[in-house]
Amino acid sequence: MNRIDAEAELKRLRDAIDRVDEVIVKLLNQRAKYAVEIGEIKGILGLPIYVPEREKEVLRHVEEENAGPLDEAAVRRLFERIIDESRRVERESARVKETA
Amino acid sequence: MVIVMEKHTAESNIERVMSELITRGFDVHRSTGSDQTILGVVGDVASIDPREFELFDGVQEAVRVSEPYKLSSRTWRREKTIVKARCVEIGGNEVVVMAGPCTIESETQLFETARRVARSGARVLRGGAYKPRTSPYAFQGMGVEGLKLLRAAGDEFNMAVVSEVMEISQIEKMLEYVDILQVGARNMQNFNLLTAVGQVRKPILLKRGMSATIQEWLLAAEYIMSGGNYDIILCERGIRTFETATRNTFDISAIPVIDKLSHLPIVGDPSHATGRRDKVMPLARAIVAAGGDGLLIEVHHDPEKALCDGPQSLYPDQFARLMDELRIIVPAVGRRI
Repeated sequence: MNRIDAEAELKRLRDAIDRVDEVIVKLLNQRAKYAVEIGEIKGILGLPIYVPEREKEVLRHVEEENAGPLDEAAVRRLFERIIDESRRVERESARVKETA
Repeated sequence: MVIVMEKHTAESNIERVMSELITRGFDVHRSTGSDQTILGVVGDVASIDPREFELFDGVQEAVRVSEPYKLSSRTWRREKTIVKARCVEIGGNEVVVMAGPCTIESETQLFETARRVARSGARVLRGGAYKPRTSPYAFQGMGVEGLKLLRAAGDEFNMAVVSEVMEISQIEKMLEYVDILQVGARNMQNFNLLTAVGQVRKPILLKRGMSATIQEWLLAAEYIMSGGNYDIILCERGIRTFETATRNTFDISAIPVIDKLSHLPIVGDPSHATGRRDKVMPLARAIVAAGGDGLLIEVHHDPEKALCDGPQSLYPDQFARLMDELRIIVPAVGRRI
């Protein structure tokens, strides 16, 4: 690959990453919407926001789904962050339900 | 706040800490490492004591990342506070020198000293009416009569006046006469007094306790500010160390440290720090060079006959010479005097 080809390829790959990011953000938000609904239901039922067992299950599930090249620990770290945010979203929607 | 879990601690220990934090309304950012888990705690963590979490099984360490003080911190207010007392502004571009006798002893003594320091350029007159003395047999101060003299001398020589308040019952009377109330080093953690002066609407000069950390000092300021009195001048006066050549060791680094952490003005008291006249002038020069917003200096027209702290009081001539030196140093650090 000559220099000009390499530069074109770099641009193509970066564009591809941008497209993937767009999908990831959409999916994260779709996931967050479910978390909002779960939060509301937990608010109604008076269930705790933090359920360690369920969080473990989620992590186990994504680790099973993982086909690489990310290793399990990397997937786990990424999903820990996603779960942190879901918990926050759930709590907020549960609170709104309580005060409503 | 960050909670560091012990290496290879049981998952149930981590869950218990997380559960407690979440129940209390905090958000938790969990980060599982290869052998150690770290929990980032987000929310109004000023209300919790990290030590409480160190008691949980499996917790190695709980550390506060943000300051426990709020109102006095730079985070809360970026621009420096300028405290106005009568005709004087402390914390602005001008370096303000406060001078006068340790204790008000007589009309002659106070007026003579005031006249001399005013002529040399002091903007605030200091003088104790109630004295916290180490010995109960030492001269305890003139009380209200002293305050009246202080006010009269301040008016005569166009200076604001500052005097130390020792207890809550003195506050009301002192407000009639003084422009700045001083809370002394020994009272820095007298929380009832701090709360009371928080209700006052006159500036407070808050001295650092002789064994207080900077954080404890700022928390003392926080007590006053939480009562609604935001006009606080911090005063470094030396801390206890193992050194005996000077009475206290002046913590010059406290000046830039406070400037970074807090928006409150900071002045230095080289007289109490050293307890020795010959050390006062070099230290005073260092304080303004380090960025101090002012100085609090003891001057007595006749120090040999002083009833209190004579050995650390400057002669009026020495004070005049010091002011001349400061007029050279202060412009070099971009300020005026």
